[in-house]
Amino acid sequence: MNRRALVGAIAAAVALAVVPKRARAAPQKKIRPPGALPRGAFEQACIGCFRCAEVCPTKVIRFPSAFSLDVATPYLDFSDRACVVCMKCTQVCPTDALVELKADVDVVAREVRMGVPKLTRSTCLPWTGQGVCRLCYQVCPYPDKAVEVVGPQKAPLFHPEACVGCGLCEEACPEIAKAIVIEPLP
Amino acid sequence: MTKRPLQPFDITLRHGKRYQWIRRLFLGFSVLLTVGLPMWHLHVLDVEGAGIAGDSRWAQLSSWLPATPPPFLGAPTSVWVIFFELVDPLEALATALFRGVSWNLVWTVLPGVALVMFLGRFFCGWACPYLPVLAASNAARWLLTRLGIPTADVKLPRVTSRVVLVGVLLVGSVLGVQLVPIIYPPAVIGREAFRAVFYGSLGAGAFLVLAAFLFDTFVSRAGFCRSLCPGGAMFATIGTLSPIKVHNERSKCTDCTVCDVICNLGQSPMQNKLDSGCERCGKCIASCPTKALSWKLKIPGRDE
Repeated sequence: MNRRALVGAIAAAVALAVVPKRARAAPQKKIRPPGALPRGAFEQACIGCFRCAEVCPTKVIRFPSAFSLDVATPYLDFSDRACVVCMKCTQVCPTDALVELKADVDVVAREVRMGVPKLTRSTCLPWTGQGVCRLCYQVCPYPDKAVEVVGPQKAPLFHPEACVGCGLCEEACPEIAKAIVIEPLP
Repeated sequence: MTKRPLQPFDITLRHGKRYQWIRRLFLGFSVLLTVGLPMWHLHVLDVEGAGIAGDSRWAQLSSWLPATPPPFLGAPTSVWVIFFELVDPLEALATALFRGVSWNLVWTVLPGVALVMFLGRFFCGWACPYLPVLAASNAARWLLTRLGIPTADVKLPRVTSRVVLVGVLLVGSVLGVQLVPIIYPPAVIGREAFRAVFYGSLGAGAFLVLAAFLFDTFVSRAGFCRSLCPGGAMFATIGTLSPIKVHNERSKCTDCTVCDVICNLGQSPMQNKLDSGCERCGKCIASCPTKALSWKLKIPGRDE
């Protein structure tokens, strides 16, 4: 190795040792798979190996198709189906971008926050007096905690702090209402 | 017939056939896994999820596969095999720069690093799923020359790939994202194959592969692998001290240049000028008409 190569190698090593610690960028807000590291850390840890998507039983783990810096990181698409909280994706991640979790109701309730539910009362059937629906309440893995039903028409009331953001309610909400959307964490 | 410069397609591989067939089988297996694994996973989901995967046309193609999950998971750059993990050294380095070094990471990268230290840049010639694209590009160059359309062969200095390697890691750091899986061909091709099988569509990565193909075809032969690929630079760096080298028995050599021409990576076996860029594909040995070339174990730092 000649002197120039040595100097280059040392400069590269120093730069690589210093820059990643100082890097701060604002990543896009997206719904990430369960167990994902906090925003920012997740984008740094994920190597886009798509194992999580390969084992997802409902195929809600997707990769963006457009040109973007997020092209190699998974996000959840609840437009069709929802996450069934099986935690398989967290168990196959090679870089712990998704922290391994057991498919245990209490563990999931404590550790998983994929998104927050947003209810549009103006289209929700019970809230608009069009009938007793309760579908969201029935499919919720955490009834009475993440969503409770109030009043004579059993209108849903969400508690984001207890919600894991699995999207089962969004999937269950009737086509004529489509009142629930899971939004990315703030 | 007008005199054209010799191209790899004009050269027959005369001997060392067993080596070539083992290499091709290995490469074939790698390519098969790249496309076959997502198909297998899709089929398992289809069976377990009661037809959820059936909306993809690949689901029908994969219906003959067993319904038990395959013993492999993941991309060409990060494979899980039954009970152990293999992660590409480049992706492991990129992860370590962000997240620090963990034992988990060390264990998963160690087998790959050990192999590359011994065998050199063999992944590029034996397993990279970009190789079929490169072969197509070489075929296209051959065809274009026959049709009288000139193709450029710009030789970027080899150090370019090392600059790209450091640049990718630095720019990724500043942006706070992993850039390696976005531009590293094995990762890109793996993800695009997965996407095509699972969702029936290609993403932005397909454009990168197309751009690399066009670059290789019109600008610089195997230029992406030789002078741009950050993974190639990584493997070449790790494998600098690899003891397995191509050796030219100069007394048998007739200076016919066949070996230099067939080499995709700009090495010169004819003059015994090979460096860590050699991908151990063995095609120079197979093409030599006088059997002057052979594999040799050379301990680094010891000149004979």
